[in-house]
Amino acid sequence: MSARAIWRPTAWEAMLVVLIFAAAAWSATLSPYYLQIDQLLYSTRNFVIPGLLAFGLMVVVTTGEIDISVASTLAVASVALSKFAAVGAPIAVAALLAVALAATLGALNGFFVARLGLPSLAVTLGTMGAYRGLAFIIGGGMGYTSFNDPYLYVGTELWFGVVPASLILFAVVAAGVGFLMHKTTFGRRCFAVGMNKTAAWISGVNVDRLKITAYALAGVLAGVAGLVWIGQYGSARGDNADGMILFVVTAVVLGGVDINGGRGTVLGVVLALLLLGTLRNGMGLANIAGPTQTVVFGALLLIGVLRPFVAGLAQRWRTPPSDPFSRRDDTEQTSESNSITNNITRRSAL
Amino acid sequence: MSAFEGKQTRVGVGEFALRMRVTGVLAFIVLLGAVFAMLSPRFLNPQNLAIIASNAAILAIVAAAQAVVLLTRNLDVSVGSIMGFAAYLTADYAARHHGAGVAIIGLAMVLGTLLGVVNGLIVAYAAVSPLIATLGTMSLYRGATYLYAHGRDVTSNELPHWMLSAVDFRIVGLPALPLLSALVVVLIALFLRRFAFGRQIYAVGSNPEAAVYYGLRVKRVTLFAYAFSGLLCGFAGLLYAARVGTVTVVLASGWELSSLAAAVIGGVSVAGGSGTVIGAALGALILASIDNGLVLLSVQEFWRMFIQGTAIVAAVAVDTLIGAQIRASLVSRRFGGVRA
Repeated sequence: MSARAIWRPTAWEAMLVVLIFAAAAWSATLSPYYLQIDQLLYSTRNFVIPGLLAFGLMVVVTTGEIDISVASTLAVASVALSKFAAVGAPIAVAALLAVALAATLGALNGFFVARLGLPSLAVTLGTMGAYRGLAFIIGGGMGYTSFNDPYLYVGTELWFGVVPASLILFAVVAAGVGFLMHKTTFGRRCFAVGMNKTAAWISGVNVDRLKITAYALAGVLAGVAGLVWIGQYGSARGDNADGMILFVVTAVVLGGVDINGGRGTVLGVVLALLLLGTLRNGMGLANIAGPTQTVVFGALLLIGVLRPFVAGLAQRWRTPPSDPFSRRDDTEQTSESNSITNNITRRSAL
Repeated sequence: MSAFEGKQTRVGVGEFALRMRVTGVLAFIVLLGAVFAMLSPRFLNPQNLAIIASNAAILAIVAAAQAVVLLTRNLDVSVGSIMGFAAYLTADYAARHHGAGVAIIGLAMVLGTLLGVVNGLIVAYAAVSPLIATLGTMSLYRGATYLYAHGRDVTSNELPHWMLSAVDFRIVGLPALPLLSALVVVLIALFLRRFAFGRQIYAVGSNPEAAVYYGLRVKRVTLFAYAFSGLLCGFAGLLYAARVGTVTVVLASGWELSSLAAAVIGGVSVAGGSGTVIGAALGALILASIDNGLVLLSVQEFWRMFIQGTAIVAAVAVDTLIGAQIRASLVSRRFGGVRA
């Protein structure tokens, strides 16, 4: 499955590619500069930061949990970097420490969820607020903007004058997470736990440790995203990336990752990010204001989650009654009640 | 020990734990009050207590709304956006039609209910995860408010005078807003406890599968919970608009976290089926007391978010541990007779 998942896109992923080209074509009609190579490459900054968060969230979601605190973790990491910058720490040390801090915050989420058995939604809703508060407590109300160049490198440097270093980082992380999820035992176990936690546990998977690792990985990627953030925006403040979680969750859901766990591909998430990034860039060119963009992303999120439901409706509508003499009432009823209980058990997983 | 006796004690354990939970919330309020009173002499000043009650009043209604949804094992993170939407549109209408009178309260509630119904349809009938669905509608509703407003605020001198004075109204010296809020919360509590439909909300939340087999219309109950939550949020949004005076498009953003914190601190389980709206209202009182105490002690505002978030995690942890204790004691009781 894993090899196919990477190299042979599903119908939905093919659809995403079509949508990306459609969005790009629309953008090209808006501005003659759209198709210039440096504009295209520069516009990737629209999705690199939420993209890094989305990869972390995707790993957590495949294990059947959720983490909506990643944007707040980013804020803590960026503010921590500003503190290290203020005391003149070399970037390598600062980046390591900030990422380690972010990983700790992620692992803390994992500890609450896996070891204490608390519902991940409530925990990460809580830590979303707590970490955001922590970022403000560390950084104070004022932003820090006097970073020196080494700190800004990842977010600002253009390789060969055109390719943003952050895009390279994004590609490396995407490939890394793709390898991790589709080629290693860890990834396979993530899907197994997301499909059926009990079955995975019985077959010898250390579910608790796996989940804590997944959360810690989400934290690490949020820390890396914090590093890119200070490069792109040149500022660190407690409210960094506030509200970004909508874009991140939309990317994961639109990328075809099952929000109840066990299904999803990194390729899908990458395509969804490209689509969202292209749309955001296009809407920027078309002078569409921020609130409208938020409406569009919210609508896309709903379309993403409603897709299986609509597909199911369409299928039920299209399928002709096969055998008039079979006891259709009975079978339909059982399948109906099964689907109800399925829905319920799947929903309650969140 | 006979089976009958065993059953009796089992019910006793559950009820005891639930009562302990509400007692725990009350004890926490007393403790919190004592600590703040020691640290700041102004805390127990009647005027200050009235301020706390007024601040808690609107949050208590929203927390009750959140609790109704939580009881069905769902979640509504769009409460703040519903409040903002209903408040802005209603305030805008009231500013244009000064003769509209008290009917605008109905308008706010209808708008809120409509948005709640949309949430309910998506969650109940399309079986979308409640977090994702309401995260989407949260941004849709807030975005719609932005688009409608075109960057304009409704200022307090555009609002009808009765609206602004109503929230400061006093009944025999007591502020009317907390009394109204208490009345609303008690009515919801009675409805949930005494009416068949109210019991169904608990039944659906504690075991949706069993509820289906029992013949309850789970989807309809869920839809109702969201619609009811929307109605309450519309009402609370208008109250909040009247209280702050100037209605901006960002009105009540962030209330999803506060309302959830209040409900969870008050003992409403995020796993559904357990908790009371009165507990949620007490949770709102706790949050308002903490806010007020922090201001009196001149602690920086940032701590508020940190404390709210930590409180959610702590409350969920306490509930989960209590739940595990109850289950453990049930198992030992159930097998106790056999082993002896």
